[in-house]
Amino acid sequence: MARSLVIVGAGPAGMAAAIEAVSRGANVSLIDEAARPGGQIYRQGHPALAAKSYAAAGELARKRRLLERFAAVAGEIDYRPNTTAFALFPSRELHVAVGETSEALRSDAVLLATGVRELAFPFPGWTTPGVMFAGGAQALLKTQQVLPGRRAVIAGCGALPLVVTAQLLRAGGTVKALAPLHPLGRALFDLSALWRGREVVREGLGYALSVAQASVERLTGFVPVRAMGRERLEAAVLQRLDGEGRLVPGTEREIACDLLALNYGFLANGELAAMAGAEMRHDALAGGWLPQRDELGRTSVPGLFVAGDGAELRGAIVAELDGRIVGAVAASGDELGPEIAHVQSLRRRHLVFQQALRETFRLPRGIWSIARDDTAVCRCESVTLGQLRRSFAAGHLSLNTVKRSSRAGMGWCGGRSCLHAVAALAEIHGGKTPEEMMTPRPLARPVTFAALAHQRKAGGA
Amino acid sequence: MATSFEFSFEGRAVAAKEGQSVAAALIAAGERWLRTDEAGNPKGAVCAIGFCWECRLNVDGVPDSRACMTEARPGMVVRRQEGLL
Repeated sequence: MARSLVIVGAGPAGMAAAIEAVSRGANVSLIDEAARPGGQIYRQGHPALAAKSYAAAGELARKRRLLERFAAVAGEIDYRPNTTAFALFPSRELHVAVGETSEALRSDAVLLATGVRELAFPFPGWTTPGVMFAGGAQALLKTQQVLPGRRAVIAGCGALPLVVTAQLLRAGGTVKALAPLHPLGRALFDLSALWRGREVVREGLGYALSVAQASVERLTGFVPVRAMGRERLEAAVLQRLDGEGRLVPGTEREIACDLLALNYGFLANGELAAMAGAEMRHDALAGGWLPQRDELGRTSVPGLFVAGDGAELRGAIVAELDGRIVGAVAASGDELGPEIAHVQSLRRRHLVFQQALRETFRLPRGIWSIARDDTAVCRCESVTLGQLRRSFAAGHLSLNTVKRSSRAGMGWCGGRSCLHAVAALAEIHGGKTPEEMMTPRPLARPVTFAALAHQRKAGGA
Repeated sequence: MATSFEFSFEGRAVAAKEGQSVAAALIAAGERWLRTDEAGNPKGAVCAIGFCWECRLNVDGVPDSRACMTEARPGMVVRRQEGLL
């Protein structure tokens, strides 16, 4: 009997895994929240919006190639768009919801390719309308044909702030300032890493050229310390951090803007893996709380695999290669064949460059002390830094007890916007490491009572 | 070419293109303030991909609809959510 495999997430890793597993004869179900395949990086807009593209040619070619390969086998896959995976149990029983019905899926193997979300740090005014994630601003541009702001300030680490700056400029927007926390050039000193990451480097240089031609003011080492405005953003104040991560007095710059787009890194969507009981680890530079995995994507839970950025932050090219390898393992065990050996060596090449990039995601400890006592850390429940400090002082130093005493992380987003900040603050104020703080709880996504009540009879892939 | 239509936001007509999200159409129309939270603070779209739930508003009487995940439709009645409603 053919092996059954349920994959969660239709981004580069999930699509590549599905294509590979189907070619090996597995019965594949692919669960995805979005209406169309692509995940975040290869996100596709509504077909009626023939969006103009501002991305690098190389990235667009990779996107087109993967989507075409997926379309060619989609008929052989039980592909379920608009479907939310909200719970996973150690028996590999996966619960999914569509609208107001749910279903429990059982299979021989589950592969999580759940990707990442963006991260920011709390600072006064950061909940003002107009302060957004940089990737969110990019999503509006790339799939909605909407300029997310007319006068933007873009800040953060890694490569995304540069990419979004270039794309906003190409779309006709004005960028008043780009504030990279670390100079990206730092990753460029390692020539052998550059060569191994040449595809990405070439695309990065194209974006850098667009930004240089527009003479955007560059405020390297500056971070936002205040967003001004109430019903809409009117200005952002940025200030320089010194080598120790402390704000340098007298370096404040107030810049009028209607968009402050931020990306201070990425967090892995690891909730389902944690809920299934997979052993977890913490690596702030690779996505925060991550499932332990080997190079074939196997976790500590039998039959549970993870692939792509949600398993460790390494970018879209690696995610696709990784998905293919892990999809092969999930479908056919150790009989991988020579083609997969080639994919593994390609993955090794790209990893060298991703490793060099990783340092550009390091956040200085001081960045968590820019919030004031009246700054909301948990946006959903408006739990302030002052409330959290009282909670820590009362001895609440696990995520569960902080949640119960303060309500941080108890709102709509399920803590996915704030728990990394709560953990960083608990480390500063209470000496607990993020590993010690971690306490996974269902559910991974909000789901209605109606969907829980209307559970369809258990099926399998 | 996408067809254009209108929906209502806080009683005003807002233009949208077929396939656009409510959040995208509102931002294009210069509307940033989508909700007032329980503490009384104006809130807008943040992640634009569905995970943060900051942009939830009332669509045709249904509260907690995410503006970034809801496709705009002609004649839709959209209101800012005030607190829980």
